[in-house]
Amino acid sequence: MRRASIGSRFKVQGWRGEPLETGRLKPGTLPVVLIALALVAAWAFATFAPKPPAKPDATWARIVATGEFRVGIDPSFPPFESDDGKGNLTGLDIALANELAQDWSRDLTTTIRVEYVYTGFDGLYDALQAGQFDAIISALPYDARRTEDVRFSHAYFDGGPVVVVPASDTRTQTPYDLARQRVGVELGSTGDAFARRWQRRLQYDVRWYETAADALRALARGEVEGVLTDLIAFNDFARAVGGVRAAGAPLVNEHVVMAVRKDSPTLLERINAVIVAMKQDGRMERLHAQWLVVGE
Amino acid sequence: MAILTRIGEICQLAKVLALLALAVALAAPPPILVTLGAPQTVRTTNLKIGIHTRLTDEVEEWKIKKTLTMVREMGAAWIVEYFPWGYIENEEGRFDWAHADLVVDHARQQGLTVIARLGFAPHWARPRDSVVSYLDEARYPAFANFVGEFVRHFQGRVKHIVIWNEPNVNFEWGYRAVSPEEYARMLQAVYPRAKQADPSVQILAGALAPVLAPPGATDAMNDLEYLERMYAAGAREYFDALAVHAYGWKSPADEPPALDRVNFRRVELLREIILRHGDASKRVFITEGGWNDHPRWTKAVHPAERITYTLRAYEWARQWDWVDACVLWAFRYPAPAQTYQDYFTFVTPEFDAKPIYYEVQKYATR
Repeated sequence: MRRASIGSRFKVQGWRGEPLETGRLKPGTLPVVLIALALVAAWAFATFAPKPPAKPDATWARIVATGEFRVGIDPSFPPFESDDGKGNLTGLDIALANELAQDWSRDLTTTIRVEYVYTGFDGLYDALQAGQFDAIISALPYDARRTEDVRFSHAYFDGGPVVVVPASDTRTQTPYDLARQRVGVELGSTGDAFARRWQRRLQYDVRWYETAADALRALARGEVEGVLTDLIAFNDFARAVGGVRAAGAPLVNEHVVMAVRKDSPTLLERINAVIVAMKQDGRMERLHAQWLVVGE
Repeated sequence: MAILTRIGEICQLAKVLALLALAVALAAPPPILVTLGAPQTVRTTNLKIGIHTRLTDEVEEWKIKKTLTMVREMGAAWIVEYFPWGYIENEEGRFDWAHADLVVDHARQQGLTVIARLGFAPHWARPRDSVVSYLDEARYPAFANFVGEFVRHFQGRVKHIVIWNEPNVNFEWGYRAVSPEEYARMLQAVYPRAKQADPSVQILAGALAPVLAPPGATDAMNDLEYLERMYAAGAREYFDALAVHAYGWKSPADEPPALDRVNFRRVELLREIILRHGDASKRVFITEGGWNDHPRWTKAVHPAERITYTLRAYEWARQWDWVDACVLWAFRYPAPAQTYQDYFTFVTPEFDAKPIYYEVQKYATR
């Protein structure tokens, strides 16, 4: 057994209780031990002790003070956002921004209004960092590589491709269930990429179409047993024609999120709280149903 | 005595650390062994298919080889690759060919023909705080010297050299007013040095951006006007072929050319200028071009359209007996650009082939 070093005078016992060795602390050891213990205690206090509420970040404080929530948007992407040419914005993202403002106004007893700052899609991140607005709400795809620069909200939509089958097909739940069958895709789409990747393993008989609507029409005609397409195209077809259903979760996650600067944690917290509430009380589902329908 | 004890303890600690370092070194995986492999041949039904690679900033050799292997497997026979002067001659008179050799040797081993695009002024050849596309006329001899060294070094391996890039756009001309006359003088400086190094090398001029800038615009010059003025400035004897950029934006590949349209067949208008100057023997190389399928970019098309137009573009190139290669932008980026640019590529940074890759492969091997 190695020499022990705690205690000014001590005994060390073997496993049978026999005395093994005794010794004294080296001079100067005790203060070092005490300092180490003090540091551990300080760390534990800092980590586990209850904290006072965090001070709201400057962005949120300004929103509350001025009642103005500035949103960066590229209004060229229906059904998420579009401008009718007269400055009138419509779309899912506009409805979402309004929901945020309404919920905050109710909680704060201050009226929050949304101010939109039009920015080209490729410039949204730079403009956010430059402080031209408080958040990006513009059908923004989640991008893990951007997390060094910004903070993303919870996802409010998943645009990844889904399996679409005839409504009468109650068996198909996953892309595996379409093995060795005819699968329709829009040429060049994410669904196409997925089908090609799995073609060899699942022995898909892939049929390519010019548009997602063409593929869905082929499904309705019985030319294919399933279609891999995005949810918006599916919704559109389901509303207009019907007779189809989406089976299971998206094949590839393409989460749509909002983004704020890293120095805006309170704003992010407030955005997330509303997104969660909307998912729980059914508002999000209603907005999806209202907006995610497009023409061909 | 205490000091001696402490020194002993430090020595012990050093030994332990040394052993740990040794263990870590031994446990580390060996570097990936990459060899050139056996020489390959491109199998394609259209020998004019080409693709612009982006290997300039690709560090890992296996990724260089993988990229070029996939290019060959797609059925492309040509690549354009950028070899920045400032990377190779970072110090005046000292040349580092290591990375360029790697790219060229792997490309050749895959059976690909390399068109080398040269540009990017090194820090020592331009004023402080200027951009890499800035080159004073006084420094043309230095650039000509580099081109000569490049041609000499790659003699027998690289036969086609593009001089500069899109000189009709001001950000490619050091953010100065563009000048076909200055560019002509650049060619006059470069051409003799290149031919001296290898008389068989082909000097490709232009690489003009297709733009419709009105006369007097400060940001760019109409490519047709630029080419006319190159001829007027006496460039004719100082290039062997014309490099052109053929972007389709939203137009199909079949759309007829027009003076007021940027589309793929605009190259025919450039060819007409060559003919008007009695220079019919000059070949044309499309060294950039293609379509983008970003869901939101205003100049993008749908993915299916991009595929259809791309295949038609390769088919047009095959029919044009005055075009030697149709090299489209771009095969793969080393990392995502995180902009619409990512939707020009045929393969993701992770080497996932996009549907357009498979469709070109199907076309090239049908």
